[in-house]
Amino acid sequence: MPATPLRALRIAAALLPLALWAGGTARAAEPAPAPPTSVPADPASADPVARGAYVFQAAGCFGCHTDEKAGGKPLAGGRALKTPFGTFFTPNITPDPQTGIGRWSDADFIRAFREGVRPDGAALFPAFPYTSYTRMTDQDLRDLKAYLFAQAPVSRPNTPHDLRAPFGWRFLLPVWQAMHLEEGPRPADPSKPAEWNRGRYLAEALGHCGECHTPRNALGALELSRAYAGTPDGPEGDKVPNLTPAKEMADWSLGDIESFLEIGMLPDGDFAGGSMAEVVRNSTSRLTKADRHAIAVYLKSLPPAQ
Amino acid sequence: MHIRFLNLLAAAAVSATLVAAVGTATAADPVDQVKAREALMKKMGGGMKVIGQFVKGEGGTQDEVQKAAAAIAEVSANDVAAVFPQGTAKGVGDSHAKPELWAQWSKTQQLWSDMRPAAAKLVDAAKAGDKAQVAQAMQATGKTCANCHEEFRIKKQ
Repeated sequence: MPATPLRALRIAAALLPLALWAGGTARAAEPAPAPPTSVPADPASADPVARGAYVFQAAGCFGCHTDEKAGGKPLAGGRALKTPFGTFFTPNITPDPQTGIGRWSDADFIRAFREGVRPDGAALFPAFPYTSYTRMTDQDLRDLKAYLFAQAPVSRPNTPHDLRAPFGWRFLLPVWQAMHLEEGPRPADPSKPAEWNRGRYLAEALGHCGECHTPRNALGALELSRAYAGTPDGPEGDKVPNLTPAKEMADWSLGDIESFLEIGMLPDGDFAGGSMAEVVRNSTSRLTKADRHAIAVYLKSLPPAQ
Repeated sequence: MHIRFLNLLAAAAVSATLVAAVGTATAADPVDQVKAREALMKKMGGGMKVIGQFVKGEGGTQDEVQKAAAAIAEVSANDVAAVFPQGTAKGVGDSHAKPELWAQWSKTQQLWSDMRPAAAKLVDAAKAGDKAQVAQAMQATGKTCANCHEEFRIKKQ
């Protein structure tokens, strides 16, 4: 029983992003239907829709915004994310003007990702991981929007979240955002090679790896001094591994990391299960070889954190 | 008379074997069954490790890759009901198997049998010794591992 709304918000803030992860474990094992597109994903294409398809996969949008278990239409939302604070129902992100995001302008779209704010000005719950997506570039966001708007519109009104007070008090969110949201993309680090900078962008912004792999402090903010250090008690008591060269992955070669991101195999020949298997299936296996290499280079460069 | 005696003897021997087999199956300790399963999984994982090293260019001769692929195919030939007997879900020994594995048994059977054609292709690729072909077959086999782990394995601690 939370003593105060602030304390409750604090707990909510700590756990909401993990709801994505908890939800992930309930997924079916059937191969995901390929996200609907007439254009193959290609990060180097001249076509914004093809580039956007790539951003869409790298950012892992499909899984949460599709209610596969109930046979929901792609991107029409409705997937339940059960949390101790109640149940979130992911929204419809098809271009349907009434029930989807069809009326959103480019500016509306960018603002949602960068500031966590809806076109009507209301704050978004951080179950949508905008604390990571805020680092996406305008270019990638525009391409992503082009891709989404090229998909079939589906009329499916959003299901209201079923949250317990005070977790559902949207007006408290700006307070949380003011404390914990550092807006905007990071400038490239000129002292590091291009592949390192690309790897950081893929891990931090698109892949939103830290949402699960970085521990959180009592205020629910990511403990950046312990970035990617993992946590012993994730949702359902699961352990989230340390991605820095301090523990589990200390002896991993670049090839080990790339191979894991491509097919989910650990160096000992075991295969990841649970939510990370879903991430590999829908996202990292679909990256280019060069991008998987960039992530590996970035992870190997991380300062060891405990 | 002599032949009849031999027939009887043979029948008796078969019956005795059957009884013994059924006996071990029913009397087996669930903790031992979990251990046996872990050993099978480790055997497959060990095979994938060798093949992975070969594909990554970190070692592994073609001979070792062939042996590894054969080991994986051998494990995949097991009856899924023998590998996952009832009463060996998490909580028993070191089991990481979710109870859903038995609740959704037809899916479990499907996931296990998906592994066989994939492992057979891996054996063929290993024989041919072509790295790209081995890599592709390893990926396809690995997918069958991951599909089942995603659905039915609790996270390793």
